[in-house]
Amino acid sequence: MRNGNAAGTAQPSDHIGGWTVALLRLAFLGLLMFLWWIASIYVARNLIPSPLETWEAAKQLFAAGRWQDAVRASMATYGSGYLAAAAVAIPLGLLMGAFNVLGKTLEIYVYALSATPRVAFIPLIIVLLGLGFEAKMFIVFLGAVMPIIINTYAGVRQADADLVEMARSVGAGRFRIFTQIVLPGALPFVIVGLRLGATIGLINTVVAELYTAIGGLGGLLAVYGNTFRMAEYFVIVLTLAGIGVIVTEALRYVELRLGRWRR
Amino acid sequence: MTSAPASRNLARARRSTGAPPQLVLDGVAKRFRRPDGTLITALDGVSLGVRDREFVALIGPSGCGKTTILRIANGLLRPDSGSVLLSNAPPEPGPGAGFVFQSFRLIPWATVRRNVEFALQELPLSRKERAERALHYIGLVGLSRFAESYPGQLSGGMSQRVALARALAVEPQILLMDEPFASLDAQTRELMQMELMSVWERQKAMVLFVTHSVDEAITLADKIVLMGSGQVLETIDVELERPRWTSALRSDRRFVELRDHLWHRIRELVLSDPQSDFYGRDLA
Ligand SMILES: Nc1ncnc2c1ncn2[C@@H]1O[C@H](COP(=O)(O)OP(=O)(O)O)[C@@H](O)[C@H]1O
Ligand SMILES: [Mg+2]
Repeated sequence: MRNGNAAGTAQPSDHIGGWTVALLRLAFLGLLMFLWWIASIYVARNLIPSPLETWEAAKQLFAAGRWQDAVRASMATYGSGYLAAAAVAIPLGLLMGAFNVLGKTLEIYVYALSATPRVAFIPLIIVLLGLGFEAKMFIVFLGAVMPIIINTYAGVRQADADLVEMARSVGAGRFRIFTQIVLPGALPFVIVGLRLGATIGLINTVVAELYTAIGGLGGLLAVYGNTFRMAEYFVIVLTLAGIGVIVTEALRYVELRLGRWRR
Repeated sequence: MTSAPASRNLARARRSTGAPPQLVLDGVAKRFRRPDGTLITALDGVSLGVRDREFVALIGPSGCGKTTILRIANGLLRPDSGSVLLSNAPPEPGPGAGFVFQSFRLIPWATVRRNVEFALQELPLSRKERAERALHYIGLVGLSRFAESYPGQLSGGMSQRVALARALAVEPQILLMDEPFASLDAQTRELMQMELMSVWERQKAMVLFVTHSVDEAITLADKIVLMGSGQVLETIDVELERPRWTSALRSDRRFVELRDHLWHRIRELVLSDPQSDFYGRDLA
């Protein structure tokens, strides 16, 4: 039993090679394209564009530079709102976890606020911040900030009491226990929060662009949707899906890198 | 790292106090408040001592206060009344004691070496000295090859050897061990006992060793302290020659008698304890 018995590793039967997964995903994509194509033929009134029409529309949007402008505008809203959310939520969640009084005081408000549909705040935000960039960024911020606070806070709260006692027994002080035991233990939770926040942030980016000054990808969505230019509309939807995949996969990669010790 | 750590350690302890190290608990009482608000007496006037180089086993039914004694000896808890002195000073958590827990308590995201170094950070050592010291003790428990492995890659026995290395590496005056081998299989457990004995024979720190196992207590200890419901019931000096692994010794009349005696006392305690699952059962 020298090197064996790695706790928590997958059994051989569970193991699927990276290439197999990639192939299966590609095959599924093919299936989706096929279904899409079928649907484009049989759904009445040209409501669904064919893959080819969509591709043509994408090329035109790209050539005209409209696609790039929209992506740039949306990413500016999304990126700034999301980064601001992370910059506020992680320290706040850590403080709430580290200082029990603060956590117990604030948690009920955090939960209340995160249960309130954030769309409810949009009129207020518009009154306060107008229809410009600040308002959009704030709508993204508001969506992304809650899951990051809640998960960071939970990560600190669930710190392994046995490990903390071990650290105390070797004479480690509060600061060292927090930075070397509690914080690394909370990291997977923080990343889950960041991932949820990224998803909600993207949704709110589009919501913000629909409700405030029409612009970015959300703006194009509204324009093409209202005028039944379904091929262009599909290009935007697929772009949003692509951004979502890229962001969450990037965070998953970070998570894997940080969690190398698990294997 | 070629100088014998044991002698260095003892020298340090003597220098700081002018006397050989020892642990003395005198009339220690400790109560806890349960979540429902009621008070529970974990220790009720416990007096016991561990002398320089002595190996003391603490045995008794679960819930009788053994872990609480170790926590108090480490300074993790303060007694409500009575006194605790480790080499004439109230114990503080830190490198004065090395704690080995039943569930290993290794930091899962840190390598074996970093786990051991974690305990060394309270000592005035340079980064390089820390790494050297950690590697020395990892070697001592036979895990040099695994210094850069993560705990998740180790078996239970190996994990407990890392925990032992971590406790030894601070070169403590006293080792506090809380059922350290209880979660290991019988084979590994016996090998770990031998490992511990070989280290202790060289190092000769004081050891306070909590166990459920009568055999383990007799095999390892100079002195066995039998506890029941927060009190010391009996203290027995084990005057069997070492090593005690031989089958001749295990069938020795003194070994067998001591074993029977302890076994019966513990069974009595468990059967008469209203908290126990076996309370009032007639298992004759
Ligand atoms: N932190 C605590 N809070 C409340 N009760 C405790 C605490 N620690 C120990 N106890 C109680 O004190 C008694 C002795 O516990 P312990 O020292 O862990 O016993 P042992 O190690 O012999 O099994 C038990 O009844 C236990 O439930
Ligand atoms: Mg215990």
